[in-house]
Amino acid sequence: MNPYYFASIALILIGLYAILAKRNVLKMLVGLSIMETGVNLLLISVGYVSGRSAPILSEGITPDRAVDPIPQALVLTAIVIGVATTAMALSVVINLYEKYKTLNVEEIRRLRG
Amino acid sequence: MSQYASLLIALPLFGAFFIPILKRISKSAVMPFLVLVTLIQTGIAAWVFNEVYITGKPIIIMAGGFRPPIGINLYIGHFAALFVLVIAVTSLLMTIFSFKAVSVEPKDKYAMLFLLLMLGATGMISTGDIFNLFVFMEITAISAYALIAYNKTGEASEAALKYIVLGGIGSSFFLVGVALIYGSLGTLNMAHIAQLAHLVNPTVAKAGLALLIFGLAVEAEQFPLNAWAPDAYQEAPHPVTAMFSAFVVKASLYAMGRVIYILSAVEGWSSILRLLIILGTLTVIIGEMSALRQNNVKRMFAYSSIAQVGLIAVGLALGTESGVSASVFHMFNHAIVKALMFLAVGYVAVELGGTEINKFEGLGKRMPVTAFAITVGAISIIGIPLFNIFWSKMQLILAALNAQYTWMVALILGASLVEATYYIRLIHTIWFKGEGEKVKESSVLALVMLLLVALIIVIGIYPEPFWNVMQKAGSDIFNVAQYIKNVPLMGVSP
Repeated sequence: MNPYYFASIALILIGLYAILAKRNVLKMLVGLSIMETGVNLLLISVGYVSGRSAPILSEGITPDRAVDPIPQALVLTAIVIGVATTAMALSVVINLYEKYKTLNVEEIRRLRG
Repeated sequence: MSQYASLLIALPLFGAFFIPILKRISKSAVMPFLVLVTLIQTGIAAWVFNEVYITGKPIIIMAGGFRPPIGINLYIGHFAALFVLVIAVTSLLMTIFSFKAVSVEPKDKYAMLFLLLMLGATGMISTGDIFNLFVFMEITAISAYALIAYNKTGEASEAALKYIVLGGIGSSFFLVGVALIYGSLGTLNMAHIAQLAHLVNPTVAKAGLALLIFGLAVEAEQFPLNAWAPDAYQEAPHPVTAMFSAFVVKASLYAMGRVIYILSAVEGWSSILRLLIILGTLTVIIGEMSALRQNNVKRMFAYSSIAQVGLIAVGLALGTESGVSASVFHMFNHAIVKALMFLAVGYVAVELGGTEINKFEGLGKRMPVTAFAITVGAISIIGIPLFNIFWSKMQLILAALNAQYTWMVALILGASLVEATYYIRLIHTIWFKGEGEKVKESSVLALVMLLLVALIIVIGIYPEPFWNVMQKAGSDIFNVAQYIKNVPLMGVSP
């Protein structure tokens, strides 16, 4: 059993805890980022083979001596998407703070019912 | 020739990124350009629909000419051809509505996000690769976040933030599911996954599938993850609300159905169906109960939309071909009806300045065409015969009886009863309460509304040809063996 799996699941759970338990919007977004990092680590470790090098075609690196390249391509995409989501969320939070003058989620509750 | 179908993805993408250049040249040309792009998209979608239904063969587009599973492929089968057309037509109608309904600047950003939302939903429906599905889902989600917050009020930002947090959790779940399936099968192509599905360890496959369903449930508005939906529907610009209800939700539901059925060879697969039935049932009950006590009409329609989406999910999870076809029929009918109703409600909000129920008093005298449109939509949703939703609810009930779920009949009829309660209350308010002077209605929007009303009644009176199309679309999702055969996988066999 690969130790990276435990680390990545732990990161996902820490992020989920932060989203569910924290009251500050920015801390929730930090939790979201931690969760995304955990998922990315999980994807990378799915394709990891002990003792092999990065899948970059160069001297001495043949396909049978590199790790699986597909998860790395996936994670590259997932990181870009994560950055876009975080940027979007932060710009929404800026507008939210201007209108509500608070970052506490318990006070940001005008929509209900 | 059929490779031109890739323009369905390329055209909105290039259109969206051409808008900043166009804005430099002439700012007033942005909205007409949006009409032009959606019009061309509708033309291409109609051509693709015609092509797929006449030849009976799906259009497969291989990105870069690499055969799957090495390359990513688009799969435009009977379902995708139908819904790509629905998406394009709805977008076109909502573009026309946007001239009236969107007054907040910057409109060029609005047009860009509008095209990206359309692109994302089109991509989700037509992709044949599970990670590409994730990418299109995120394109849809990120443009949806931005469009919800577009009005720049505090409430709009609040609704967008709720959606961002839930959407972030959902996309992480989805990726974990992708990691589990990739880790056990070593492929991301849907047809290839379906081909190898009987080899996978059932526990891993079921956990992965459950995670994929939870990831998609955020966009598909299934119960534990749909808290964002009513807020977002209420605060988004009116055309965007109609687009959410008409096709963004439908794209996620389709994706859910697809990932469930490609793994149908997994041992103990029916437990996943039961999970989705429970989620869908709870969605229906909670949606209808919440709709009953709303004073804001737009929010009431949002809850009603959530309840209908629950019915669709239940139909998808019946595990029979007739259930899936009935779901597809309900998706199609609901798309038409909700596009009409959100358009009408949005138009009332533009003219009378709000969607609270007291604004609707005397609407029958003030805006007769709009009031007529809302009435026809409401009657149709309740499920009165001679209107389109009657037939899809009927098919759902028949499918449930065939699949031995007798209690589901009670669920569908009970939901219709609750709908009747709150919609008849609204109709009563519109026609029999209050007075007011007449507002001049825009003739273009009246024409659009009457067009949709006519479509509702035509399907209600002649359901047969439409039902035949829906059965083909449903079997496209259900019949996995045919799906595998249709995709030209490179010489790999288990």
